[in-house]
Amino acid sequence: MRIAFWGVRGYVPTPGADYLRYGGNTCCIALHGTNGELLALDSGTGFCQFGDHLMRGDFGQGRGQLTLLISHTYWDHILGLPFPGVVHVPGNQLRIYGPDSTRGSLEMVYDGILSPVYSPVYGLAHIGATHNFVPITTEPVQVGSLTIRAMPLSQRLNSPIWAYRIEEGERALVYITDVRYSNDIIWRKAVGFAKHANLLIHSAPYTRQEHVQDYGHSRVEDAIELALESKVERLYLFHHAPTRTDAQLDQLLVHYGAELNAHGHTLILDAAREGVQVEV
Amino acid sequence: MIVRIWGTRGSYPVARANVLRYGGNTTCVEVRAGERCIVLDAGTGMRLLGAALEAEAQPPEALDLLITHTHWDHIIGFPFFAPLARKNCAIDVYGLRRTQSSLRTTIANALSDPLLPMDLEDLRARLHFHEIHEGLSFNLGDVKVCAARANHPYRALAYRLETPEGVLAFIPDTGPFHTVLFGEERIVWNGSPQPNSEAELQTLAEMRAGIIKLAQGADWMFYDAQFTDEQYARFPHWGHSTASQAREIAEEAGVRELLLFHHDPHRSDDELDRIVADQQALAPPGLLIRAAYEGLELRRGS
Repeated sequence: MRIAFWGVRGYVPTPGADYLRYGGNTCCIALHGTNGELLALDSGTGFCQFGDHLMRGDFGQGRGQLTLLISHTYWDHILGLPFPGVVHVPGNQLRIYGPDSTRGSLEMVYDGILSPVYSPVYGLAHIGATHNFVPITTEPVQVGSLTIRAMPLSQRLNSPIWAYRIEEGERALVYITDVRYSNDIIWRKAVGFAKHANLLIHSAPYTRQEHVQDYGHSRVEDAIELALESKVERLYLFHHAPTRTDAQLDQLLVHYGAELNAHGHTLILDAAREGVQVEV
Repeated sequence: MIVRIWGTRGSYPVARANVLRYGGNTTCVEVRAGERCIVLDAGTGMRLLGAALEAEAQPPEALDLLITHTHWDHIIGFPFFAPLARKNCAIDVYGLRRTQSSLRTTIANALSDPLLPMDLEDLRARLHFHEIHEGLSFNLGDVKVCAARANHPYRALAYRLETPEGVLAFIPDTGPFHTVLFGEERIVWNGSPQPNSEAELQTLAEMRAGIIKLAQGADWMFYDAQFTDEQYARFPHWGHSTASQAREIAEEAGVRELLLFHHDPHRSDDELDRIVADQQALAPPGLLIRAAYEGLELRRGS
């Protein structure tokens, strides 16, 4: 299986020259199975770019099928969904997995963001593509040869945040975002979930040295420690802070890469970059 | 009077190499008149404005935010506006009165759980919401503000800001006034226009006259030019205009400078250059046409 980063920024999109190399669109990762299966992780504004790309193929003809896996329903993970043509062309099929919140089901949340005060779409009923919302559980889901496992890792207010593990044969990709390791139970769960993954994509907007109030995000160091403890092969830092420039991300990679080397770790450290494709 | 542009894009923000010059942030314009700081719309450009305000020697302690409507691209920057976290900051928010939901509730719901972890009650800045309607005029210090109805799904406002130094007309989202009349109801588009009733044609004509009046003699008119002719033909139900429709309004209103605005997310810098050149070639003498870009500053008076 192969992944493609379409949106790697956290919180809010950051257009501009200083953010161009790593990219300024919010969270969206495409995952292509060996047999043509198509998944996407989250639907921030990166989904708009991804959707335009898909329109050049089967989706433009109303013959596309996409499984969308949503970690949680904060803006930077869902607001891109209603815009691209793929969701408006009849015949396309969307299957959307994600968590219900105590404030309402996933479907209600998406319907809410499309209500006429916020969107000219006037609600989910007017999305042209066939769409099915499925509450995510810890039961594995099979899409072709891909096995999707999901795990609720933490909770912010009424919103649970889910992590995903996608496996094809022996290969495994793990996606953990917006989590806060506020206690050891969550940490142990995450370590178990990411165990021996070939590739871990983990939100890491700030370092421990940076004192920012951001509603409790894991830090760059948490992501690295988790990757080491889970014996992950390759870690992609993700959900970059809106103020993080390309130059700063370069420096960050050099700094933490050197630290890993000095300790003799073989973990490959990288930062998620829009437009980059990776074979898992 | 100083006008600074922080966001020009419509529909959704785009981060791409071919939009660097005109910018990928959604709509936000800052107007300074004397001590007054007025913000037009709260798109992602508002985050950059907030950072700039906080970097001033004496950040303004009072701000006015005029919202044309609450579609995502016009409010998505609001929670990332740094002055919200400042105790000595008061923000007066103006927007359209609706029977279905108060302006405050619309904003509060957008940025509270499960969409974001914010609560308007917890902000350090003091927020005051003012619900207004089309046809209303009021003063913000020395600035006279007029609101008119734009032709956009679920209704939207357009604003005129008038000072002794200059006049700005802000019309970021409007369709033309000949085919589709937008109101509360969703427009069903099957590929051909429904004929308008006499009453609808009358309402469209009045709305157009209201927009012309709003922009009359303006030094600068920011106007929705999201669509190409081809896009308009396919998506008239989204409520956006073309550059040539914007130019026609500018000519009729006797505007000095037309700033094409609310650029389509797909529109590249080079395409915008061509659109501007095409329209400028058709414009009468005395009408300057540009496409609004992030970072542009306009001035009148001292």
